[in-house]
Amino acid sequence: MKIAITLNVNGKEYPLEVKPNEILLNVLRDRLGLMGTKYGCGIGECGACTVLLEGRAILSCQTLAFTADGKKITTVEGLEKDGSLDPLQQAFIDEGAVQCGYCTPGMILSAKALLDAKPDPSNEEIKQAIRGNLCRCTGYTNIVRAIKSASVAIQNRGRK
Amino acid sequence: MSSSRVISLDFQCSTPRSLTEALQALNQEGAQVLAGGTDLVNNIKINIAEPRHLVYILGIDDLNLISVKGGCLVIGAGARLSDIEHNRQVVSRFPALGEAINVIGGTQIRNMATLAGNICNASPGADTPPILLVLETEVDICQLDGGGDISHSRLPLGGFFSGPKKTVLKQGQMVGAVILPLPRAHSGAAFRRLARVSLDIAKINCAAYIEREADRIRLARIALGSVAPTPVRAPTIESALEGQKYSERLLFQVADLVGEDITPIDDVRSTAEYRRQIASLLVRETVEEAWRRSRGQG
Repeated sequence: MKIAITLNVNGKEYPLEVKPNEILLNVLRDRLGLMGTKYGCGIGECGACTVLLEGRAILSCQTLAFTADGKKITTVEGLEKDGSLDPLQQAFIDEGAVQCGYCTPGMILSAKALLDAKPDPSNEEIKQAIRGNLCRCTGYTNIVRAIKSASVAIQNRGRK
Repeated sequence: MSSSRVISLDFQCSTPRSLTEALQALNQEGAQVLAGGTDLVNNIKINIAEPRHLVYILGIDDLNLISVKGGCLVIGAGARLSDIEHNRQVVSRFPALGEAINVIGGTQIRNMATLAGNICNASPGADTPPILLVLETEVDICQLDGGGDISHSRLPLGGFFSGPKKTVLKQGQMVGAVILPLPRAHSGAAFRRLARVSLDIAKINCAAYIEREADRIRLARIALGSVAPTPVRAPTIESALEGQKYSERLLFQVADLVGEDITPIDDVRSTAEYRRQIASLLVRETVEEAWRRSRGQG
């Protein structure tokens, strides 16, 4: 059995034929070549595979591709606009919030969903939002600081 | 060649747009409901679940609704945990339900998973059943009758679980909604759990619902998870509390009675002995908070 679906990934439409057992993460990586989304634990605990589905953070390794038919998906590749990084990406660099980098795409997307819904989160709200994203290098301090500083940058940009 | 794990099991799927279509698809041999998939997809990956046909119900818009009807909060089977947690009715009238949902997984899991799915998965340690049990929740079970029309039956949640990871649902049936009676005046509910770290599954969890009459406990309902093959009510301690004047001393006197109502085991998360000892403390704390809330305090 094959199902015809259309995924809207980072603003681009991809008509695809998928089998019922195909996982969204694999479709993004192996069929669309979007390697930014990472395979971590495979069982929904680490958050490395996080993408935005209709603006909300979800786990692409726990999602069967056919269920995302017609939905808008954002991966880390979709954050850059007109050649410049998203404020979150820039803040992660500036604050040294990246070490091995494996958790970074998922972490940034969870933060993106948070800031889109709540532009000025407290540190506690930031920690809650990234509770499902594990980082084994940084100890989270720089990550929380990066998200905070991105929120300030976005608000300042809005004021200009 | 895949750069991450694939699912080797082959199965069919359908994407119904109405409850009738979903129930038709579920009548097939080996058909199973797929909602958020946070348990089911994992179980397929590790060969615990082997469905032949998945019926994906989150495309049915009517099932996503959360509404107040006939003195009850009706939570559709497709409503995601994060929508329920932030729903205005839940925040104002069922804060303890919101708290029980908030401890489940990370944001991503709560954006995907449903309350009906948490119940249907029937884990003895799931975080929502204890609070749902003390709120006297009912489950709306749907199926097609002989004429092809949808028939609904309501079952108290206490009768829904038949064992660890087992429910009374039969082939062709599915949960359409989870129904909670609105809490009465002078009532309060609370939820507590113990886990090693915040993302962990509970070692033990507990919920309480109290109705107050002046300084007396008019009615008490207590339920616990991870201490028996299914989430359980604690009738012995409930009747020891009912009709009594509330005091901390009373709580200390009766809390150990919870041992009569639970049958914990040793497993990877904890030991039976620890669960027994900590259960009475957890009951005390949970009842205390429910009482405070019944007085309109936090």
